Amino acid sequence: MPENNSEKAVSKKYGSGWIFFGLIIIGLTAFIYGILSPHPEKAWQAYLINFLLWSAIAQGAVLFSTVMHMTKARWSGPLSALSESFAAFFPLSFVLFLVLFLGRAHIFPWLHEDLHGKEVWLNIPFLFTRDCVGLLVLYAIGFAYLYNALQLRCDPDHVRNGFHKFIYKGWIRNNRSPEEVKKKMTLWAGLYILAFTLVLSLIGYDLVMSMDPHWISTLFGGYAFVKAFYVGLGALIILAAVTQIRKGKASGLAPSHFHDIGKLFFAFCLLWADFFYVQLTVIWYGNIPEETHYVIERTVMVPWSKLAWTVFIVCFVVPFVILLNKKVKSKPVFMVILCSAIIIGFWLEHLLLLAPALSHDVHSLPLGVSDGLITIGFFGLMVIAVSFFLKRFPEITKDSQVRPSG
Amino acid sequence: MQGKKYIMGIFKDEDQVVSTLAALKETAYKFQRVHSPIPSHKIMAALGLKKSKVGYFTLVGGILGLISGFALAIFCSTRWNLIVSGKPIISLIPFFIVGFEFTILFAVFGNVIGLLTQARLPSFKEVEYYDPRCSGEHFGVLAACEPMQQDGLKDFFQQNGGEVKVFE
Repeated sequence: MPENNSEKAVSKKYGSGWIFFGLIIIGLTAFIYGILSPHPEKAWQAYLINFLLWSAIAQGAVLFSTVMHMTKARWSGPLSALSESFAAFFPLSFVLFLVLFLGRAHIFPWLHEDLHGKEVWLNIPFLFTRDCVGLLVLYAIGFAYLYNALQLRCDPDHVRNGFHKFIYKGWIRNNRSPEEVKKKMTLWAGLYILAFTLVLSLIGYDLVMSMDPHWISTLFGGYAFVKAFYVGLGALIILAAVTQIRKGKASGLAPSHFHDIGKLFFAFCLLWADFFYVQLTVIWYGNIPEETHYVIERTVMVPWSKLAWTVFIVCFVVPFVILLNKKVKSKPVFMVILCSAIIIGFWLEHLLLLAPALSHDVHSLPLGVSDGLITIGFFGLMVIAVSFFLKRFPEITKDSQVRPSG
Repeated sequence: MQGKKYIMGIFKDEDQVVSTLAALKETAYKFQRVHSPIPSHKIMAALGLKKSKVGYFTLVGGILGLISGFALAIFCSTRWNLIVSGKPIISLIPFFIVGFEFTILFAVFGNVIGLLTQARLPSFKEVEYYDPRCSGEHFGVLAACEPMQQDGLKDFFQQNGGEVKVFE
């Protein structure tokens, strides 16, 4: 009976899939229209922001499953399995990164600047090679972890499609022993966590911090990956809440799951704010013009100061005050609204970090309809990717077949 | 004599206590309290107690702490208002550290005060109507009734699988 339910839910999802294909087409059209317009740099800026945000969501959400496995946590239940579905965005994210190469003239303001010796690190061939390799390694490790994790989650007596056969072969190769699979999972989970910190730091330095090539903050990489885990958890809560609303008890998600992941989300809200504050304090104490101009431009100068306060309130103050409450955390509908607001907040946060360097002498926020449309396109891509995965592996949202991964 | 009889049912099994508590709610006997040798989630759930108020003490403590931390830092720096390395006398960014630490400290104080007042500790009076076996391996359910219902309550505990102890 639960199998029929989930099949129906999945087919329903597939039936409404054309809406999301429509969103992708809208986003693509807006983007192409943008790069053909007299100001292609605006479209590329929106593209870069979305690439960074949605990739971070996918990478951060998959991190949840690896961390749960490494810490032998049992509280996460079906949440671990759900978080793995975000890995379906990895290949898309990699292709989206390659597209970024076409816009290199518009997204790297340091291209024709004198970098005083930094050109050894900041040059297009080296930057794209190392980021490409980094992303490839991260995604390959992610898939290797997934390959083993799915061997435990899939039912060996019920091989559905090509993906299942592929997973099933791995299960045979591991002599059908869960212990052997778990050992491999531990190895890949550890490597994924390590690669996550290193590669997200690299992306943070190369694609965000380098926009202002004379500014340095050594903690920027750490800030980038803490942020990625924070938004990843937010997206995971949204996915879990949507699954719970669609399937009810068949999803295996109890209020306690939402309460627990809500607490972790709250903790990372604090940690993100802490990483922000720690950088700010050091820059404030040092009071060196090369460092302070970056912060002053973004938090004191018009038009960015209002954006800075918006980001701080939406991403920290509001979630902090709301998440103090216990009941709120176990209300799926409410959490969807809160997490969506936080993800939009982080879209604006990327804008705040990137736009002052990319668009000079602006008197109002460089936000337009096209930014929204391009974002919608990326949202469509993410939904299509995740539902593609959930359709291939419907069993991961069924509690009965999820074996504890601890 | 105030006319009430106190009777305790003594059980060896946690689940018996839970079912007794559920059945006791249906009767006219007045439930007093449960003595348990271990902390038990099952019994807590069966009792259906109101949510503890300790959290509010912690919250108030935390808010007071944040305010007093900033207040202390600001007060101290106005006592010594020398401009050091171009920083304003009252600079909120570093004072946040003091504010944060005081938030934690006062929240802990609030929590301890909340715990003591809500649990009515310290208590020097010996507990009335108590059986020492409840500190060993037995659970005690204490209930009160009118003297004429005494036999009924005894039967009730026995039916639910417990020993009966009547307090004089």
